[in-house]
Amino acid sequence: MGSLFRSETMCLAQLFLQSGTAYECLSALGEKGLVQFRDLNQNVSSFQRKFVGEVKRCEELERILVYLVQEINRADIPLPEGEASPPAPPLKQVLEMQEQLQKLEVELREVTKNKEKLRKNLLELIEYTHMLRVTKTFVKRNVEFEPTYEEFPALENDSLLDYSCMQRLGAKLGFVSGLINQGKVEAFEKMLWRVCKGYTIVTYAELDESLEDPETGEVIKWYVFLISFWGEQIGHKVKKICDCYHCHVYPYPNTAEERREIQEGLNTRIQDLYTVLHKTEDYLRQVLCKAAETVYSRVIQVRKMKAIYHMLNMCSFDVTNKCLIAEVWCPEADLHDLRRALEEGSRESGATIPSFMNTIPTKETPPTLIRTNKFTEGFQNIVDAYGVGSYREVNPALFTIITFPFLFAVMFGDFGHGFVMFLFALLLVLNENHPRLKQSQEIMRMFFNGRYILLLMGLFSVYTGLIYNDCFSKSVNLFGSGWNVSAMYSSSHAPQEHKKMVLWNDSVVKHSRVLQLDPSVPGVFQGPYPLGIDPIWNLATNRLTFLNSFKMKMSVILGIIHMTFGVILGIFNHLHFRKKFNIYLVSIPELLFMLCIFGYLIFMIVYKWLVFSAESSRVAPSILIEFINMFLFPASETNGLYRGQEHVQRVLLVVTALSVPILFLGKPLFLLWLHNGRSCFGVSRSGYTLVRKDSEEEVSLLGSQDIEEGNNQMEDGCREVTCEEFNFGEILMTQVIHSIEYCLGCISNTASYLRLWALSLAHAQLSDVLWAMLMRVGLRVDRTYGVLLLLPVIALFAVLTVFILLIMEGLSAFLHAIRLHWVEFQNKFYVGAGTKFVPFSFRLLSSKFNNDDSVA
Amino acid sequence: MLECAELYFNVDHGYLEGLVRGCKASLLTQQDYVNLVQCETLEDLKIHLQTTDYGNFLANQTNPLTVSKIDTEMRKKLCREFEYFRNHSLEPLSTFFTYMTCSYMIDNVILLMNGALQKKSVKEILVKCHPLGRFTEMEAVNIAETPSDLFNAVLVETPLAPFFQDCMSENTLDELNIELLRNKLYKSYLEAFYKFCKNHGDVTAEIMCPILEFEADRRAFIITLNSFGTELSKEDRETLYPTFGKLYPEGLRLLAQADDFDQMKRVADHYGVYKPLFEAVGGSGGKTLEDVFYEREVQMNVLAFNRQFHYGVFYAYVKLKEQEMRNIVWIAECISQRHRTKINSYIPIL
Repeated sequence: MGSLFRSETMCLAQLFLQSGTAYECLSALGEKGLVQFRDLNQNVSSFQRKFVGEVKRCEELERILVYLVQEINRADIPLPEGEASPPAPPLKQVLEMQEQLQKLEVELREVTKNKEKLRKNLLELIEYTHMLRVTKTFVKRNVEFEPTYEEFPALENDSLLDYSCMQRLGAKLGFVSGLINQGKVEAFEKMLWRVCKGYTIVTYAELDESLEDPETGEVIKWYVFLISFWGEQIGHKVKKICDCYHCHVYPYPNTAEERREIQEGLNTRIQDLYTVLHKTEDYLRQVLCKAAETVYSRVIQVRKMKAIYHMLNMCSFDVTNKCLIAEVWCPEADLHDLRRALEEGSRESGATIPSFMNTIPTKETPPTLIRTNKFTEGFQNIVDAYGVGSYREVNPALFTIITFPFLFAVMFGDFGHGFVMFLFALLLVLNENHPRLKQSQEIMRMFFNGRYILLLMGLFSVYTGLIYNDCFSKSVNLFGSGWNVSAMYSSSHAPQEHKKMVLWNDSVVKHSRVLQLDPSVPGVFQGPYPLGIDPIWNLATNRLTFLNSFKMKMSVILGIIHMTFGVILGIFNHLHFRKKFNIYLVSIPELLFMLCIFGYLIFMIVYKWLVFSAESSRVAPSILIEFINMFLFPASETNGLYRGQEHVQRVLLVVTALSVPILFLGKPLFLLWLHNGRSCFGVSRSGYTLVRKDSEEEVSLLGSQDIEEGNNQMEDGCREVTCEEFNFGEILMTQVIHSIEYCLGCISNTASYLRLWALSLAHAQLSDVLWAMLMRVGLRVDRTYGVLLLLPVIALFAVLTVFILLIMEGLSAFLHAIRLHWVEFQNKFYVGAGTKFVPFSFRLLSSKFNNDDSVA
Repeated sequence: MLECAELYFNVDHGYLEGLVRGCKASLLTQQDYVNLVQCETLEDLKIHLQTTDYGNFLANQTNPLTVSKIDTEMRKKLCREFEYFRNHSLEPLSTFFTYMTCSYMIDNVILLMNGALQKKSVKEILVKCHPLGRFTEMEAVNIAETPSDLFNAVLVETPLAPFFQDCMSENTLDELNIELLRNKLYKSYLEAFYKFCKNHGDVTAEIMCPILEFEADRRAFIITLNSFGTELSKEDRETLYPTFGKLYPEGLRLLAQADDFDQMKRVADHYGVYKPLFEAVGGSGGKTLEDVFYEREVQMNVLAFNRQFHYGVFYAYVKLKEQEMRNIVWIAECISQRHRTKINSYIPIL
């Protein structure tokens, strides 16, 4: 049983790390993942700790690395993932690494900035060419009134025009042209109209291709616009509005010649930019490729380094400041490894004084460590989800390995379904090293993590399916039924026996719809079916009645055994924690209470099964009535199960009734008596309490023998009591509540186990319905077309079986099995108030990287 | 609205209300403030904020860290949250949200116009604008020269348009006029918001009306205080007061006649709510009137979370978050200017 039965023994160790070697030591410890650090600086806020500067440096490095990874991903360069995880970098390399990274970052930023600039430039030029091309069509229209514009100077000479008019005419006709975001066109035009009161002419056309926005990099539709306006003032306003709507305004060529020149210039510049951009991109790619080779190991190294400094932040300094003191929880079995790791770390750093450790006694409760393997892990998780076990408590996971799949299978009992589930789990188990399964989606990962649970659940379902004789709701006749119908016919019996029995003849068979086989007729019942339920029941109309009675009794029996087992495990706990009085005052009364009522119920069930045969079944009393009568002491005599039943029952009831007050008051009174100094014990013991009560000087005066005696006595199991403050009322309250809960719980929990029956019934009925609705219909069709119909029917049947019966029903049975374990089983003995042992281990870190990386 | 809004509230707004309550739980606690105050540098502040709900919001900032960077990032974070609320809201909650943004929009418009007056470039001022009050037409504000210009050209299609009814004038926009415009806009905004909440009824009205009344009264007091010793006439002053709230109408008339702080205090003494506030001014810790009002506001906003099925929680959350940001900025300023004596005079959020 070893480590799974109880959590491992822990000890508190103090590590003395020479400040020069602390980093290397922790690195060695982190690789091994042996110890859990305790925070010795809890009241120091995170930024006032010793190694905050180093942590900051790590964060800076991380920031650079994140930037690198981001850039590498953007350039679509595959990130090579190293198999082995590199150790944390030695301190000497850290500076070097930091320098390298910073240089790389600066270079990268420079190059990307240049690239961005070039790209933006290029985009703008492209926009400009587009604009020129589109506005050409506008200009053609404009050309028509361009001559009038030319004629203005002639008009100027006219003396009839007043000054203001001349001003207006003298103002140049201005053009603003550019590109605007598609979504803003309407609002832009409206605002132009409102502000300039119509003194502008806006022409715009949609650009047929989408262009990237130089600012945001989004690819959107653009409109090219041309605003012709009149006058300086309005020109300012127009420009402001263009700014407001983030238009990209480009200078508008006045003449066709100019336009052509610009266009040519643009084309050559675009060509140049393209080549430069390509060169820059190539260079960038080279830099990134080089960076990508090391980035994985760098990320892990920095992570490890950061983790080490976080741990160092938890240590305290000794007086001389030369030595870091860390307090760690370590499993006793690993102490040797811990020493070796420390030595290794010291050796690596070449320190003259090695780091060392010693264990210190403590009264604090250590964290709980239960070592699991890939098989037990899933079951341990089920238990941990309820609560991590208290230190050294009996761990229910060990028993859950068998009971959980078993209870599940009782509810899920179907040979076929179980086998499908088993195959699925087997597939997962066989391919468990496949990388894709490990990085699969959430739901698939859930199945994957529970693959061994599924495997056992499938196997047990196959077994219970055999017992229920259910395979996709049909019975399998493996060994030949034990019932013989032909023996019911009168012709097969001697005539003198006819009078005694109700036998069939042809007319009876012809005229009655329902006939009953009578097992008391010789030859009809040839003995029980070798394994499970006789397949003939599948044909019987009273099949449900029979199965219900069987499953109900079975679930009660299983439940009571399960709960009793829980109470017995409680005894193991009390033994281990040296609270023997708890066994006598709590566990045994609990057991008596349970067994005298429900144990007796099981006895009655089994007794009735064994004693009454087919012939005598008519006189068999109902167990329910008998059980109720047990509490009512009926005045009238019943025939009863056996002779002397009343006396036995009365004794049992008296035992039950007696165990209740013991359960309620026993423990509190005993503790009270302990607290009051065990007045009826010898003088030497009361001497001890005297020592405790008096001052410390007296203790030193007293002989060491006395103190030792006192210490020995402490071992007796009352240590906790004397240490803690004694509060009788509180203890009484807890015990009373616990007892009430237990007594009522016995009844309600037993009833709760009936879910085994209900769920298995539901499962059987559901699969029966599915068969009747689909397969039977498919099978009934005649031979020629039947095959054609059968194919889709089978497909539908398979799909529904998987989704409804396997997944949905399986999930519900799974949840109920969990409940039965958490509530009904574990509340009998399991406290689950521990904290999990979380070792300082790099393995937890590197697995995280993979996640982040897939996201990034 | 329907009689029993409780029954239907969650259909439309349940998700958002749950969300905002969750957000409220992430406000900095007293312990956080105690830790923040102990910080030596802004880097320390950043490290501590990382452990709170702000998370890694400063991670991508290059050194050196400044107060304004922290402020912008915090604002951005609030803005992201608000945008999320707003994008997932249904009527009439979305109108409510629009009303909430209006006050920031007014501030931004005024800020831009002041900037234009001082011949600063739009880009420079845009950075200072509150992101909650951002709108497209905003940058064109400096085209306008008179309030009616502003309305006709720029703001006619924004949610601010209805608030312009009182302040259409052809005065050129100098500093005083801008200030008047701000107060008039605010006045009509508050009145409209108040009316909206009142018409909405239910718990929303019960929660929001006192908060808005307080806001109106606070504005009245602040306007009075700021107008002492300026060329603003008493009649003009009265027109700037929002026409609802506890002070309306008697108190406002008295306030309009006040000449100095003592007279104002005498007016406030008539009101049980404001008397203790004015008494606290200058008391222990040298609190200003502003601080006292902020404290009261925080108190009201925190209480808003005690009721369910109303929109007030969103308003209260944004206001509380703003107060928290002011606190952090205050602490950060104190740290960066090594002015530690006043570091504790932030306004605690209970």
